[in-house]
Amino acid sequence: MINFDSIKHVRGESQFVYDFIPFEKVLYAYVFYSPVAHGIIKKINLDNALGIPGVRYIFTYKDITGENQVGGIIQDEVLLAENEVDFIGQPIALVVADNFLTAKHAAKLIKCDIEELPSIFDPREAFQKGSLIIPPRVFSLGDVDEAWKECDVIVEDRVESGSQEHLYLETQGSIAFPVENEGIKIFSSTQNPTGVQRVAARVLNMPMNKIEVDVLRIGGGFGGKEDQATHWAVLTAMAAKKLQTAVKLILPRQEDMRITGKRHPYSTDFKIGLKKDGKIVAYEVTYYQNAGAAADLSPAILERTLFHTTNSYYIPNVRATAISCKTNLPPFTAFRGFGGPQAMFVMECALYKASQVLGIDYHQLQKINLLKDGDEFPYGQRAENCRAKVCYDSLEKIYKVDEVKGRIEKFNNQNRFIKKSYSIMPVCFGISFTTTFLNQASALVHVYTDGSVSISTAAVEMGQGVNAKLINIASRVFSIPPTRIKLETTNTTRIANTSPTAASKGSDLNGFATMEACQAILKRLKKLAATELKIEDENQIEFKDEVVYCKGEKTDLTWNKIVQKAYVNRVSLSAHAFHATPGLYFDRDTSKGHPFAYHVYGTALIEVTVDCLRGTYKLDSVQVVHDLGETLHPVVDKGQIEGGIVQGIGWMTMEEIIYDKRGKLITDSLSTYKIPDVYGAPEKIEIHFLENAPNDFGPFKSKAVGEPPFMYGIGAFFAILKAMNVFRPGLEIKFIAPMTHERVLMTLYSEVKEKVRL
Amino acid sequence: MRKIKIQFKLNHNDIVVETFPNRRLLDLLRDDLNLTGTKEGCGIGECGACTILINNKAVNSCLILAPEVDGKEVLTIEGLSSNGQLTTLQENFLKYGAIQCGFCTPGMVLSAHALLIKNSQPIEDEIKDAIAGNLCRCTGYKQIIEAIKATVKS
Ligand code: FES
Ligand code: FES
Repeated sequence: MINFDSIKHVRGESQFVYDFIPFEKVLYAYVFYSPVAHGIIKKINLDNALGIPGVRYIFTYKDITGENQVGGIIQDEVLLAENEVDFIGQPIALVVADNFLTAKHAAKLIKCDIEELPSIFDPREAFQKGSLIIPPRVFSLGDVDEAWKECDVIVEDRVESGSQEHLYLETQGSIAFPVENEGIKIFSSTQNPTGVQRVAARVLNMPMNKIEVDVLRIGGGFGGKEDQATHWAVLTAMAAKKLQTAVKLILPRQEDMRITGKRHPYSTDFKIGLKKDGKIVAYEVTYYQNAGAAADLSPAILERTLFHTTNSYYIPNVRATAISCKTNLPPFTAFRGFGGPQAMFVMECALYKASQVLGIDYHQLQKINLLKDGDEFPYGQRAENCRAKVCYDSLEKIYKVDEVKGRIEKFNNQNRFIKKSYSIMPVCFGISFTTTFLNQASALVHVYTDGSVSISTAAVEMGQGVNAKLINIASRVFSIPPTRIKLETTNTTRIANTSPTAASKGSDLNGFATMEACQAILKRLKKLAATELKIEDENQIEFKDEVVYCKGEKTDLTWNKIVQKAYVNRVSLSAHAFHATPGLYFDRDTSKGHPFAYHVYGTALIEVTVDCLRGTYKLDSVQVVHDLGETLHPVVDKGQIEGGIVQGIGWMTMEEIIYDKRGKLITDSLSTYKIPDVYGAPEKIEIHFLENAPNDFGPFKSKAVGEPPFMYGIGAFFAILKAMNVFRPGLEIKFIAPMTHERVLMTLYSEVKEKVRL
Repeated sequence: MRKIKIQFKLNHNDIVVETFPNRRLLDLLRDDLNLTGTKEGCGIGECGACTILINNKAVNSCLILAPEVDGKEVLTIEGLSSNGQLTTLQENFLKYGAIQCGFCTPGMVLSAHALLIKNSQPIEDEIKDAIAGNLCRCTGYKQIIEAIKATVKS
């Protein structure tokens, strides 16, 4: 199944925001941002910068006609700094000039006196000083305090997981221009068109109907353009309104890396108690989330961490506390998994450590505690159609885990310094926005008189293949070829009040809406066909491969003919449908409810080879059994899984975000921040779609795919750890990710008590 | 600074342009010649999104000054299927799902194309070497390698 949407890409014809030239005259903008992590702005002098020929205007907060506020969940983030700056990279001014280089050059001439204040970068320190985004949240199940008494062993430790740069290949950007009736049109590289529209309206003091946001496609998002594309869009809108011309702002890579938020680093304490036989009895965990200088999406991400505290396992007694800590770093934001990966990593660390203390194999412990139908999650929902065990068992069978073990043991016996190992990583991920009201979408479908079809939805195409899936859905409902269907841009004038394309929900929500709109049109066409064919019951009419069938018999009516007839008979060929996921609720006071439509399950087997002399390693293979329900598009789904795995491996192994003591990002370019290249990706990836696994809650029985595979990457950490333990049994392990080559080496040789004999 | 005149073959056609000597080839292509298929992902030679061919060799156009192509032959993604017909390589990128967001795609395709010009039967390691300078954040590379391999076979 080919993704036809990609043809333009391969020809180099597809346009991204920075390719648009909608006007002869476009001005270019450049952001001037804070060079200190925390301070008071004493004075700002723009004279030198304004003196440069070609500079048109420099915007500061004083130019904002509405509210200087971009915060979503909490209104705590200004667009342009007023008196105080809270992180390095915080926008202070926007220089607009005839061309990019002039704007950039002028920005360097802005003089800004800032009196530095003490900064906090560590979340635990922030917590101690009471610097929090929201009060701590707690999820609990059973009675943890009582349960410790029943445990045979209790293990505690601390876990650190690092940040991660999205590194969407297309950097953040926007272009805005004035349109008639004092309106503004914005082309933004955003996952959240309505978010942009809403904030632009607020900042410009305009009604939302005068702001049109249009998204053709974006060059990768991964969550990084859910909330944080807004700033750039709104800045260009503000400039376009004032200067009455088109203004373009594309963040250069280095600025994008410095200014915009990334995955939240977490520092976590856990305590786990088990029976001798390996059953987990109690689990207590405290997450310190480093939220950065403003809330952004942190409270929602914090909540998803709590939702995924126990990953794919059943634990009867749980107390999970999550604390969102305010620090002087750029606000951290959504990133594939949305806080889930951080929780699951801690869970695996707890199991790994417990396995060492108990003397039971780590993977045996996983199996003993896997979720089953009816088990209660700490948030009150029960596992239904639980596929944790079937995925795990199928994985062991399909990829012959016993043979793998034998092969690895043999290799390790024959090699002294090179060690191989494997690990297994089960994943259970809840599907739905955990903020219930976001689970809504609409679709607008037009059938034109020549039989071609146009679809508009709230979904933003960012490479995840949502367009291909929506086309597939319409093509199945109408039974016409995908080539006759076109996906329109995501535009706030066609589809209003959109939820961001996020939470892996894009295809589910917009898929259902598309399906319902298509069905509404189909129903009218069937009725008309019944009249034409002079039968009573329209249910005896069927559309198959562009032909109308009556009582199973082919007729002379074709798709094109019936569409024509509908037009002539004044039957509407358009439909708008609204879909809201049924049955969802969640009470934030009790932290109980039914927040997810369903869960996605899967298990991965990861094999690595570690050079224990050099600390280097290689990912040999990742093999997966994944539950997709019934796939809507196998090529797209496979691509999502593979891409997710590699990104997850990157987070756990090589992608290291480092700030200096003043809070300045050191890893601010692709030469210092490494994402997997073709050699960093596993040598072999194999994906097996779990069979006979329909999902009643997804369009055409499918399941969402975007985020869950990311977490398979966590297995890479443990595979490397296991290999290190083979080389040095009894090695004291610290759970700090990413496990870079450097860290492997330093861990293996930090406490060398006896000399390594060569 | 004064503009200088350079002459080169761009996508099979001879052209003459005037440009500042310090203009990056990438900007000349994108901004002056409106060939926006070539993308900028980093601007420092690390991502490969700006890959083009000069005299059949893949290079990062963000690291090249425009005058350097004087008298040479330049191929951008727009010139690869100039007659409207996709090349087998491009077709295989589609068929094997080697494309997600598409931002790395032009560079990736051209790196592979350059490899196949000099070596029509590369082995897997040679394929990997050829695209080692092209980052893709979406696909995980497997489908890209498969697409190139399939092209070699045909
Ligand atoms: S833009 Fe040239 S290598 Fe990245
Ligand atoms: S397809 Fe998105 S970066 Fe490669």
